[in-house]
Amino acid sequence: MDFTLSPEQLLIKDSVARFAAGDHAGGDHWPTFAELGWLAIGAPDDLGGFGGPLETLLLMEQFGRGLVVSPYVAQVVLAGTILHAANRPDLLGRVVEGEQRITVAYEEPHARYDPARVATTAVRDGDDYVLTGTKVRVLDPSTAGTLIVSALTGDEITLFAVPSDAPNVVRERYASEDGYDAGNVRLGGVRVAGAEIIGGVGGGLALLELGLDHATAALCAEGLGLMSTMLEATVEYTKQRQQFGVPIGSFQALQHRMAEMFIELELARSMAYLAATTLGEERDPVARRRGISAAKVQVAKSGRFVGQNAIQLHGGIGMSEEYKVGHYFKRMTIVERLLGDVDFHLGRYLAARSTKTQAQTPAAVG
Amino acid sequence: MDLAFSPEERAFRDEVREFIATHLPPDVRRRVQAGDPLGKDDYACWHRILHERGWVAPGWPVALGGTDWGPVEKHIFQEEISYGWAPRLLPFGLQMVAPVIIEFGNDEQRARYLPKIHSGEEFWCQGYSEPGAGSDLASLQSSAVHDPSTSSGQAETYVINGTKTWITAAQWADWIFVLARTERSAKKQDGISFILVDMKTPGVTVRPIETIDGGREINEVHLENVRVPVANRVGGEGEGWNIAKFLLEHERTGTAGIAGCRQQLESLHELLAHEKIDDRRLQERVAQVEIELEALAFTELRTLAAESAGKRPGPESSILKIKGTEIQQAISELALDALGPYAEAHVAPKYFNYRKTSIYAGSNEIQKNIIAKRILKLP
Repeated sequence: MDFTLSPEQLLIKDSVARFAAGDHAGGDHWPTFAELGWLAIGAPDDLGGFGGPLETLLLMEQFGRGLVVSPYVAQVVLAGTILHAANRPDLLGRVVEGEQRITVAYEEPHARYDPARVATTAVRDGDDYVLTGTKVRVLDPSTAGTLIVSALTGDEITLFAVPSDAPNVVRERYASEDGYDAGNVRLGGVRVAGAEIIGGVGGGLALLELGLDHATAALCAEGLGLMSTMLEATVEYTKQRQQFGVPIGSFQALQHRMAEMFIELELARSMAYLAATTLGEERDPVARRRGISAAKVQVAKSGRFVGQNAIQLHGGIGMSEEYKVGHYFKRMTIVERLLGDVDFHLGRYLAARSTKTQAQTPAAVG
Repeated sequence: MDLAFSPEERAFRDEVREFIATHLPPDVRRRVQAGDPLGKDDYACWHRILHERGWVAPGWPVALGGTDWGPVEKHIFQEEISYGWAPRLLPFGLQMVAPVIIEFGNDEQRARYLPKIHSGEEFWCQGYSEPGAGSDLASLQSSAVHDPSTSSGQAETYVINGTKTWITAAQWADWIFVLARTERSAKKQDGISFILVDMKTPGVTVRPIETIDGGREINEVHLENVRVPVANRVGGEGEGWNIAKFLLEHERTGTAGIAGCRQQLESLHELLAHEKIDDRRLQERVAQVEIELEALAFTELRTLAAESAGKRPGPESSILKIKGTEIQQAISELALDALGPYAEAHVAPKYFNYRKTSIYAGSNEIQKNIIAKRILKLP
């Protein structure tokens, strides 16, 4: 067992930390990400890629710490994992270079996060398919030139690469609470060439599940970073803030609350690391789903506890828009639910648990 | 980063597993598995078996009968003890007083006490808490006074008076180690000494305390004019508080009981299957506890890896104590919820019994104080 980071990993962590600590509000930093090589994490060697889930974790944790809200999870982790697994170096190579921006449109109204609940249809017409349906909660559609869309071909789910400016594609942005770019995509009979199928006919669901597991693990890492900053800010604040003639951090009621926040943070840290390990080592998709959903449940619960109490312990200033902790709390609130909330992932965990698979034990025990 | 066990570590695990499977008497295993109370003979028997194998004192220096295991091997060993439904040996001799004697004792004391602790010939118990000194241990009032009537040439003697309470296994113990006040000083942490008392000494009486689960694990021990040679003091006079703090650090991770929790969860699943309980809400609660346990298990591995890399076990172990005991309690609560009151399987006594876990070994509230002060550096 060895938990130390390699020199290369430390390098990534430090360079991301420097960026995250700087002024990154507003503006599109994609060229910077490309230049620093961050878009290549997880890609195969021959495309100039390096690293894997652990490197993604290191990057996302620092993004969380510095409240870097970017399309990274959607366009690099989710789309990149799918393109990699579907063996599409043509598209993935352009993502790695920062030349093409791709996001994934999978969720539908009333699907409650479940990628298997698809009503969008892809009807064959000669060599083409015609796509009709509605996708909701699409992440980062504004900057994406290409959408990976899931649709039913018969009763199977197939993925299509659709140019986002194709005729009959309508993108509707939401007003988001955390500055994040999200919206609906309406497909009103969109014609797509059969050559644009990603991963073969009927190969869509397995690819989506894999991509979503990687993206969920990345969100767990972001949540870890968000919580770390919220706890640090809260501890600092309660050491400074004087009431009744003493720092409020000297009150045991507050100390115990912060001790509980610390415990929640450490449990979330363990699960974020365990999630990255699971992705790196686990070949059985059922065991992988179980591990990732367990991580999301813990990170979401921890994040809610740490976030709500960070606001509470800051008192009035925590409610103020001009103070940073509220912004972290808002982002955490989104991350808690993004790609599946506690209820969804508990259900997914239970389903994976009851599916008999080889005995699932943590890496270090097995 | 490499989070898997090495081939050597896996081979060691298999060796331990095999040994427990072939050497643990079936009736003892049955009692552990059923959660029945164990008798002194059960502990003594398993102690003998481990002693013969040379595995009874992993934490001791090799020269004194310890093992050369690193933190990972020690962890594997403890996990296998739980997985194999073997008893956890009582810690008071092997893991508490022995490290103190090794660290603070003199050669005569090491020669007199350690071999019999190692062989299991002598049982020990811990005399710390008093009716008026629990979490605030330093306010203890038991006194050890030099006997002025000792004439020259005679061995110097302390006369000890006081009451010690919540003492596990005192009814079986040959010896008790007590913290007693040898001096009344301005600072309550000063003037405390660490003294070894033979339970057969006149003036020592043991009164059992029945607990809410009907168990009789704990006792009150009265010390009335108990005459003990001054040579039974370990360390200097007034050094007791330092020793007590040293011991607290030795208690550490054992209380997380990860493997034990995994076993109990397995039993819970069997119970649910056997009773055909298919309640979705209960299943979700079980799943949440499972997930927390997984998070805690990985947290323990992280502290273990830090320890292997040479870091001293730090205040982070408070997380393991708090969360480990909360999970133990949650599992016992789920079993009770699953079966309801007046169930045949005795889930209620276990639920009642497990309330102790968040109280003993430094209550969970004290552990939160430790996290607040020593990790978060709050004022």
